[in-house]
Formats: sequence, C-alpha cells, structure tokens
Amino acid sequence: MNPFGIGLTYTIASAAAGGGGDNPIALDYTYFAQILSFLVLVWILKKFAWKPLMNVMEKRRQFIEDNLTFAERERQEAERIKQEYQSELIKARTEAQAIVEKASKQSEERAAEILSAARQEAEKMKQAALAEIERERDKAVAEVRAQVIDLSVAVAEKILRQKLDMRGQEALIDQFIQEVGDRPC
Amino acid sequence: MHEIILWHVGNGTVHARTLVMTWLTMALLLIFVFLGVRNLTSGKPGKLQNVLEWVVDFVKGLISGNMDDYRKGASLLSYLVSLIMFIFFSNMLGLIPNFVAPLFTNVEFAKLNQIFHGAVLQSPTADINTTLALATLTIILVIAFGVKFKGASYFHHFIEPHPVFLPIHLIDILAKPMTLAFRLFGNIYAGEVLIAVILMLPGIYVFGGVLPMPIWLGFSIFIGAIQSFVFTVLTIAYIAQAVAEEH
Repeated sequence: MNPFGIGLTYTIASAAAGGGGDNPIALDYTYFAQILSFLVLVWILKKFAWKPLMNVMEKRRQFIEDNLTFAERERQEAERIKQEYQSELIKARTEAQAIVEKASKQSEERAAEILSAARQEAEKMKQAALAEIERERDKAVAEVRAQVIDLSVAVAEKILRQKLDMRGQEALIDQFIQEVGDRPC
Repeated sequence: MHEIILWHVGNGTVHARTLVMTWLTMALLLIFVFLGVRNLTSGKPGKLQNVLEWVVDFVKGLISGNMDDYRKGASLLSYLVSLIMFIFFSNMLGLIPNFVAPLFTNVEFAKLNQIFHGAVLQSPTADINTTLALATLTIILVIAFGVKFKGASYFHHFIEPHPVFLPIHLIDILAKPMTLAFRLFGNIYAGEVLIAVILMLPGIYVFGGVLPMPIWLGFSIFIGAIQSFVFTVLTIAYIAQAVAEEH
C-alpha cells in the first residue's frame, strides 16, 4: 500500500515498474521516515553542536570587539596625553622665554642704574673737589692778603721809621694807610 | 544503480537501503561534527573546529546576503547548517566504495546482505523520498516564516495582483518543492547511474574503469558540493521571499 496512491509520481512509478520496486521514482513511507530522521538530526546537531559552537564564535566576536574598543580608547587616551604634553611644552617654552626676557630687561635696568649712580657719584665728587678748590683758593687769597698787609705794614713801618720825624708828612701817611686798606687783594 | 529493497512496515513499505544509508550518513556527520566541537575554544580553534566555523560563517553569509534583515533568518541558522552538511555528506556517501560488503554477505537479517550489495554505497539523496522530504520541510518553513512575520496577511499574496492569479501562485508553491527535490535527486541519481555504467565498461577499462572513474568521482564531488549549496541557497531565497516587506 502506497500513501501516495493517487499521486502523479506514483502513477509514473507504477507504470514504469509495473508495480514493482525497481523504479527509482517511487514514494512510500520512506518519505515520512526521512522527514523524521532529518528533524532528529537537526535537533541533535542544534542542541549539542551548533549552539555551543555559535556561543564560542559569539564569545570570540565579543572578545575581539572588546579588544578593538579598548585599543581605540587607549589610542584616544594616548592622543589626549600627547596633546596635553605638547601644550605644556609650548607653555613651558613661552614661560622660559618670558623669564629670559625679564632677566635681560632687569639686568639692563640694573646696569643703567649702576651707571647713573656712578655718574652721580662722579658728579658729586667733582662738585666736592670744585668746592674744595674754591675753598683753598679763598684761603690762599686770604693768606696772601694777610701777608700783603703784613708786608705793607712792614714797608710802611720802615718808611715811617725813616720819615717819622717829618711831621708835616702825617697827612700823607694817613692817606697811604687809607689807600692800602681800600685796595682789594 | 541499485534495485530498490523494501522493508514492509505495517501495511506499507520503506526503502531499506535509503534508510540504512541515511542513518550511516547521519552517524558519519555526527562523528565529524562532534570531533569538531569536542574541544571548543573561543581562543585559537582546532582544525576541525575551524572547518565547522567556516561552514557556519558561510551559511550566515548566505542568509544575510539573501534576507532583507539578517535577524529574520537568524533562527534558521542551525537548520540550514545541518541541511547543507547533511546533503553534502549524503552526496559524498554514494562515491565511497562499499568496503563493508563482505561483513554482510551472509546476514539475512533485515535484508542487510542485499542492502550492502554492490560496488559503492548509495547516496540517501539518490532517492526521491529523501529529497522530497527535505523540500517539504523547506516549503513548510517558507509558509511558517511567512505567517510568523506577516501574520494572516501572508496568504494575501496568493491573490495578488488579482484573484485570477491564485492558480499560478498555487502552482508556484507546489513547483518550488518539486523542483528542489527533483533537481537534487536527478543530479545525484544520474551520478550513481554513471558510476554503475563506468563499472560495466568493457575492454581495457574493465578493471573498475581505472581511467574514467577518478574523473567522474572528482566531478561528482563537485556536483555534490554544488547541489548541497544550491538546495540551501534556494531554501534561504524562498524563505527570504516569503518574509520580505515588499514583493
């Protein structure tokens, strides 16, 4: 008894094989047995082979993906640190530049200061020397004057000793003295 | 080319050789796969695990290449990987010399002596029952996914653009599994027929068809791989068509 008794294939098969089992195109219960066999095979493979295999593959995919994300994050972090270092380097350079500039400005100022102080000192010393010279001159003049007076007095004394007896000349002596007294040094 | 050996089950029959070869294929496939997933690691995979991962990735690529949204087909991945590997292993089984024949020559039980008679084993896919079973599962999945993603409005496409087209759509949904089944069956069955013919070559080639046999076996490997690929891709394409937003 064939389950596909009214099927076209069965008709062909029966016609060709005369109802026997020699026609290759013959349907019978093998059909159902094959469906069942294949479903059982799929079930066994799915449960014991494909599920674990796919889990493992998924795990590896996840692992690689994690690694890639991690590497990308690391790369960004490194990039960021590099930027930071670069900006800090630039900052440090500018600062160094500023410090050097400041130092050179300061030294210039200081040099100018020292120079001006030295000038002032020299000026002061010059002034002091001038004042000293003036004072010495004054002193010398006074001394000369005193000597001239003494000399004059001595001269006058001599003349007076010679001509003291000439009373009539008293007026003249007075005049002399007057004149000497008035003369500037 | 083998004559069909029947087991009588109740009031019906089954193709004994096809069933035994199917179970053999399943056993080989299970051994292969379990060797591959024995030492699973998410680190550096072993050789066999690498092969299985390649198959999974390959089918995943097919799904995402055909579906408008991979997530719609993601739940199919296990089924499709099993499908492509089962069909490929089935196609290859028919090329393997029948080394076990001497073991069963005197075993009358379940006609095993007749089942393991012949020069080569038989591909389960060289039987229309197997290919039609797989094609039926495909069309069930097509309708199931259509209903799952579109609800009752899935059935509306049968009368588009006009109710007159209903017969054409019905033929379409019947032709899809039929073409799937007969394409695979025809390719593999013809391959086995040709192997049998080569083995019967007379003259200088009579010793196992020494010259043409390797050529044809190589070509059969190619055909078997292509047909397993085609079956899987068409399954994906039909399902993608059913779940697509726009026709």
